[in-house]
Amino acid sequence: MSRSRARLRVRRPWRLLAEATALLVAAVVAFPLYWMVLSAFKPEGEIQSTHPRPWTTSPSLDSFRRVFQQEDFGRYFLNSLFVAVVVVVASALIAFLAATAVTRFRFRFRTTLLIMFLVAQMVPIEALTIPMFFLMRDLGESVPGIGLNTLGSLIVPHIAFSLPFAIWMLRGFVKAVPESLEEAAHLDGASRSRFLWQILFPLVFPGLVATSVFSFISAWNDFLFAKSFIISATENSTLPMALLVFFKDEGNDWGGIMAGSTVMTLPVLVFFVLVQRRLVSGLGGAVKD
Amino acid sequence: MSPGTTTKHGRPRAAAPAHRRGPGGGGATGARRRRAWTPWFYLAPALVVLAGLLVYPIYQLGLISFLEYTQAQVSGGEPTTFQGFANYSQLFGDSQFWEVTTATLVFAAVCVVSTLAVGCALAVLLTRVRALPRLALMLAALGAWATPGITGSTVWVFLFDPDYGPVNKALVWLGLSGFEDYSWTYDRYSAFALVLLEVVWCSFPFVMVTVYAGIKAIPEEVLEAASLDGASHWRTWRSVMAPMLRPILIVVTIQSIIWDFKIFTQIYVMTDGGGIAGQNLTLNVYAYQKAFASSQYSLGSAIGVVMLLILLVVTLVYLRLLRRQGEEL
Amino acid sequence: MCNALLLRVSMKLSKPPMLSRRVTAPAAALVLAGLTATACAPSTSDNSSKNDEKTGTMRVWLFREVNNKPKEDVVDAAVADFKKEHDDVKVDVSYIPVNTRAQKIKAAFNDPKSAPDLIEYGNTDTAGYVKDGGLLDISKEFGAWDEAMNTDPTTEYSVTIGGKVYGAPLFVGVRALYYRKDVFKDLGLKPPATQDELISTAKKIRSKRPNMYGLAVGGASTYAAMPFIWANGGDIATEKGKFGSNEYDAAIDSADAKKGIKAYSSLFGNDNCPAAKCAQWGGNDTVQAFASGKAAMAIAGDFNHQAIEAGKAKGKYAVVPLPGVKKGQVAPAFAGGNNLGILKSTSHRTLSVELLKVLAGKKTQTKLFGAMGFLPTFTDVRGAVAQQDPFVKPFVKTLSDSAKFVPAHPGWAAIDAQLVLPTMFQQVVSGRKSVDDAASDAAKKMDEAFAQ
Repeated sequence: MSRSRARLRVRRPWRLLAEATALLVAAVVAFPLYWMVLSAFKPEGEIQSTHPRPWTTSPSLDSFRRVFQQEDFGRYFLNSLFVAVVVVVASALIAFLAATAVTRFRFRFRTTLLIMFLVAQMVPIEALTIPMFFLMRDLGESVPGIGLNTLGSLIVPHIAFSLPFAIWMLRGFVKAVPESLEEAAHLDGASRSRFLWQILFPLVFPGLVATSVFSFISAWNDFLFAKSFIISATENSTLPMALLVFFKDEGNDWGGIMAGSTVMTLPVLVFFVLVQRRLVSGLGGAVKD
Repeated sequence: MSPGTTTKHGRPRAAAPAHRRGPGGGGATGARRRRAWTPWFYLAPALVVLAGLLVYPIYQLGLISFLEYTQAQVSGGEPTTFQGFANYSQLFGDSQFWEVTTATLVFAAVCVVSTLAVGCALAVLLTRVRALPRLALMLAALGAWATPGITGSTVWVFLFDPDYGPVNKALVWLGLSGFEDYSWTYDRYSAFALVLLEVVWCSFPFVMVTVYAGIKAIPEEVLEAASLDGASHWRTWRSVMAPMLRPILIVVTIQSIIWDFKIFTQIYVMTDGGGIAGQNLTLNVYAYQKAFASSQYSLGSAIGVVMLLILLVVTLVYLRLLRRQGEEL
Repeated sequence: MCNALLLRVSMKLSKPPMLSRRVTAPAAALVLAGLTATACAPSTSDNSSKNDEKTGTMRVWLFREVNNKPKEDVVDAAVADFKKEHDDVKVDVSYIPVNTRAQKIKAAFNDPKSAPDLIEYGNTDTAGYVKDGGLLDISKEFGAWDEAMNTDPTTEYSVTIGGKVYGAPLFVGVRALYYRKDVFKDLGLKPPATQDELISTAKKIRSKRPNMYGLAVGGASTYAAMPFIWANGGDIATEKGKFGSNEYDAAIDSADAKKGIKAYSSLFGNDNCPAAKCAQWGGNDTVQAFASGKAAMAIAGDFNHQAIEAGKAKGKYAVVPLPGVKKGQVAPAFAGGNNLGILKSTSHRTLSVELLKVLAGKKTQTKLFGAMGFLPTFTDVRGAVAQQDPFVKPFVKTLSDSAKFVPAHPGWAAIDAQLVLPTMFQQVVSGRKSVDDAASDAAKKMDEAFAQ
């Protein structure tokens, strides 16, 4: 690729220095994660040792066993996955439509709406838990599927909280698709919805992936709603609740925490690595015009 | 390169009039009216969800901040009463509130600046290295990004634990014997520094990946031209790359402001709910403590409203500055 | 009222000049839409239930202990006893994690549908839960219960608010002084008999054994600090007027209380427990330090027995009551522990009381002591178990000599949650404030909480 050749025309010693720096930074950034995984594998007595060593001679699966042997752990995992996937898909679709509206049309209140989407991101979620709690309780009266104690009570608020950011990010990406394309499609006799779903949607897809990363993480990692809204239906608990068990008043079970954290982080990391290239091109497209 | 980007750049602009914006495309009035309604049709699902689940709770938040609303009112033990601005005057009369607000503003500013600096520097670094180091750095960054806030905070506290953490041991080994038994969370500033490290660790990846993506999207010819003109690296960055990256930098700056101002988990977990005698409280944690630990939901809501207003002002000022410089939303 | 409010909200929003109209108009429109769709005031719950069903499923929430299995066995046996007489009732017991209990129980008050019938709760929470309107008044049933005659007055006080009884005590916990027999023997020391001796002994150990804390203390370990205040004749708060008025004044800034604060604070420093570490410690950290062999003494409860047995200190320690100011005195200790209560929203009132009597009754409490080491709340049962197990003797003695309780006022929950006392101790031991300033600040915050 001629592209990279020009960019790499950096003088050699400088490049080596840059690469050494990059590797060093990578090591520093990865170190906490390494320590997390390491502690998860360390045997009971070694985790809290006054002579911490960056390796272990007798790796043990005890901590992982404690995590997996929790009652219903598999169920929590599936619940988390279900919530995250529904949130990702729903918020991506809704945000795609909304982003199309605010970028490809000029209408009254357009700027106002944009500012409101921005403002909506500023709301501290923690402060909204109380009103949300009552809202979900009252909604549950009329729509049983999203009341307290159901997975719906986790899904719906997360969609709401992911949307503003998703719309804001997708905007630039929709904008980048040339207007002329729509003209051409129109002249070819394509209906608006056909253009929307068969032409625009695939083009915006990398951007959707990029924004999905954010909604996935927020839904997957959520403690707050899971703790507040799932009151007595333990069968609807999510993964973070299984991790919380290891934080105790009498002193934390560090092995369990580290193993649980590893189990929680892994799927997100896998998801990240899978979408990494789309993420880069997506974020690039989302913000440039 | 992904198909999306190729099409975006690769397809030549069609001959159709480029400025066909605004309602109507020269069709019949019916079509025009339909066109006028189309955006609202597309927006409908988003607006319904946001109005119901965001605007309405925010309205409730504002409402609660004017009421006497503690757990007793919530569970129906006592009637709710209207308090006017009493909650606000109680809040503004409390010297701790001002201390916490100042700490929040300063801490958020430091977080934003550090995150942006680290993220941008590493993004530039990524463009200067070959595939393997790039992949290593990218993966490490994605790992940090993927880590749940509560986990990341716990691990960082554990790393800096005075008894069991490897960091102090390493510092002592390096000859800094002052770090023997040093407790990072005891002193106010070192506790904030520790939280800052974690915040930068988990939020620089977003900046780095986004800015890197932006740099990669700059057409090669432009950089080549600059390089042929003999421009230095710094000059190329300042007069070629930075202007082209402006939209990206704007987005990451706004996002960082919004996120860092609302930092919750890190402070809550790492300083054990706000540090010794509340020395490390930030507004969001302060609000949470008021609302949930002490069940003073109205005070907590008032703090939430104040936070929202501060963020609003900061962001609007920023947007105005941009607009004055000719930037479009 | 609502419209005036709305106006103010939109006035607030209209501050930034240029974008004002753009933001306000639609915001107000949306708010209006919300208003017409739902009622104006924020939600509240109606907790009282008129039903008293005799069949169906009853839900019970108990705390999950570190080692929960023995507790489950005792509870299962008690439930089986209960079901002998009520075989058409299903009892669903769940064990909730202690550190999410506050949210859970509050959520239960707010959503009667998911609420349990019976809960276990910490005895310092009684007043708060009663004010929240969550607990059922069972004075009549409690008074008529034959076993209740033997209930220890301190624990009965912890379920009583304004003369009404809101539950039954389940177990009581109290702290005493754990010390390392081997270290004391090596250094030729005797268990301290007065508070001054306690402090000097702690410092002597630290000077001879620099790797050890003399007495492990924590800036956030409030319940271990209270005995120092009480022993010096001070108090946390005093009841206004006559007994039972249920109105309190903070007394933490009295001269006697400050003596206690000074005594406790003098234990923080390089000559006993360095402030840089110990200021942040809570009660469990001090227990951890003792269990792992890093401290020669600790103020820990009977309920910490298991944790200490699991550590390095196993088999090398003994327990004495925490000494008072004068020789022969026992410093008054805080009578912690848990109660069982019935939620106001229960639809099984009669059955819940029956189940409560079984779960908190003498038989179950005796078994719980055997399984978990929880001290019974009935004086006769407690006396019997102390005969069998010499370990609990110092604790039982502390309880019978001079156990105290925190103010039975709903404001206490707020004082506890706002960390008023830990903040005060932390300010003093870190040298940020003098004892006088910190104590008067704390007293001010406490009075605010009592006034609400």
